[in-house]
Amino acid sequence: MSLDTHGTHEAREAREVTVTESPSVVAVKGRPPRSRLRSRGRDRFGAGREQDTVPYALRGTRRGKVLRGVLLGVVALATIFPFYAMVVLSLKPSGAVEFPGSLLPWNLTTSAYSDVLGSQDVPQWLINTLIYSIVGVLGTLLLSALAGYAFAKKRFPGREAMFWSFLSMVMVPYHVTMIPTFVLIAKMNGVDTYWGLILPSLANAQAVFLMRQFIQGLPDELFEAAKIDGASEFQIFVRIVLPLIKPIMATLGTFVFLWHWNDFLWPLIVGQSTDMRTLTVGIASLQQQNVPLNVVLAGSVVAFVPIFMAYLVGQRYVTEGVAATGIKG
Amino acid sequence: MAAVAEQPRRLRRRGPHARREARIGLLFVLPAFVLFVLFRFGPSIAGVLLGFTDYSLMDSPTFTGLDNFTRLWDDPVFWSSLKVTVLYTVITVPGTIVAAMGLALLTRRAFRGSKLFRSIFFLPVVTSLVLASTVFIWIFSTDGPWSTVMGWVGGHTGSWLADDVFVVPALAIVGIWSRFGYGMLILLASLQNVPRELEEAALTDGAGPWQRFRYIILPSLKPALFFLAVIETTASFQVFDAVYVMTGGGPANASYTLVFQLYDAGFKYFDLGYASAIGLALFVLTLIVAVIQRLVIGKEK
Repeated sequence: MSLDTHGTHEAREAREVTVTESPSVVAVKGRPPRSRLRSRGRDRFGAGREQDTVPYALRGTRRGKVLRGVLLGVVALATIFPFYAMVVLSLKPSGAVEFPGSLLPWNLTTSAYSDVLGSQDVPQWLINTLIYSIVGVLGTLLLSALAGYAFAKKRFPGREAMFWSFLSMVMVPYHVTMIPTFVLIAKMNGVDTYWGLILPSLANAQAVFLMRQFIQGLPDELFEAAKIDGASEFQIFVRIVLPLIKPIMATLGTFVFLWHWNDFLWPLIVGQSTDMRTLTVGIASLQQQNVPLNVVLAGSVVAFVPIFMAYLVGQRYVTEGVAATGIKG
Repeated sequence: MAAVAEQPRRLRRRGPHARREARIGLLFVLPAFVLFVLFRFGPSIAGVLLGFTDYSLMDSPTFTGLDNFTRLWDDPVFWSSLKVTVLYTVITVPGTIVAAMGLALLTRRAFRGSKLFRSIFFLPVVTSLVLASTVFIWIFSTDGPWSTVMGWVGGHTGSWLADDVFVVPALAIVGIWSRFGYGMLILLASLQNVPRELEEAALTDGAGPWQRFRYIILPSLKPALFFLAVIETTASFQVFDAVYVMTGGGPANASYTLVFQLYDAGFKYFDLGYASAIGLALFVLTLIVAVIQRLVIGKEK
């Protein structure tokens, strides 16, 4: 699994395993864990992947494995159930809410979707959410890459003080800063505007911190060489820094996208007219207006699909990002 | 700004190259710095100051000392929303951590399908609670799935969201559902640090699963558990989205939380000074709980 990142530990395990394991493990010892997992299918004992690196004594019994499978299966079904219900009920005629009858996947109709997509509001909310998320991601990545590069590789007076004061902002809870931020945006006539919605979200301390940590790990020589070749600072940033920080941009980009897409309180406060709502705010308002369940759920599915796609594409970045940095989900 | 003031003297000593470096560095930080001043540093200070005023967006703020805080102390709604928030947290945080721990232990070793299970468990974390809430309203409805299952096991049937005792547990279940996958990933990463030799040695000495968990796995997970406890407590104290959509704080304020009160005070009544005071109270509470958790988890060494 992509989460085992401790190479030395793995190598040690591989060595121990040789006593009881098939020879194929010996051959791959010392290689990075992921490639080993990928290269191995079922081993010659037909026992599948579980046995690599696990010493014989710590391997579960057959009964234990069955029990584990059942437990995990039940929890997984319970976890997925709301998603299943959301999709199926959104495909039912309005009023089909009885349990368990309405959960059966037939008599489906897309009428709720025509209602949702044919309305004036939901497509507008989708556009608003896309603008908020995409501009939010691009802006946050650019600003935090610039600042992170400067904090990591440039020497300027007040650098440390400035960096730590940036970082300390992680400690101040959102609800303390939210009210003054709203007042400021209101005074600048930013309520019900895109910039009022987006701009405050670009000051992201966690993003600057992660960028700086990542860029600090890059060797100075890469930048020095370009400088000797006569590249300007702007060229160095675009041609050398940006390509090198792609991994952290992918991780951070996925998270920032999720945060923006799912954000609720700030868009609720700033987007006061119907036209300026994001999907989360809009769907919450549908819920409160006693719109039929199938229509509300169709709206939820429309809002959920992009997140689900982003999760499928960026899943590796999400799980590795959480494991490596504890970045909040 | 003292740092910037001493800039010319230091730079002259370092020569033209260093001066150029410094200028570039400052230039690169500048956009982020401006935004941080406007939307983080400024509002942080203003947020504290506003808590001591009667600001209401219409007129300029007047300093009122501790008035907001004495008002908060005498406000029965504050105590009620504090109670609801604490109750929610007391159910959600242990529930999330126990579920995360169990599932991390079960999916710890790679086996066929382990990756799929982890992906499924993490899916609610990336899902907006607003969207999830629209379907959880149905799940918790009078004749919905939850009530039916409760009927089978002899629990409380009927709509939990309409019941003033069961509404908070219902919200806590949604909270746990949406958070345990995150805890699971954190604990999985940390489980890599459990010394394998120790586990094997304990097994050879005849230690059972519980003993191995208690004396070998648990001690190495302590930093991760502390981290999770703090993160989850902070998140639970700030519960709002699900409450807003699922119950609107009802029935009869039975699920009215602190952030909901802050939202109403600030953006329904535009009583911004009072709302800021609630925000500060929330901040202080979070800090106190973090310190207590540090003491409890740290002590057991």
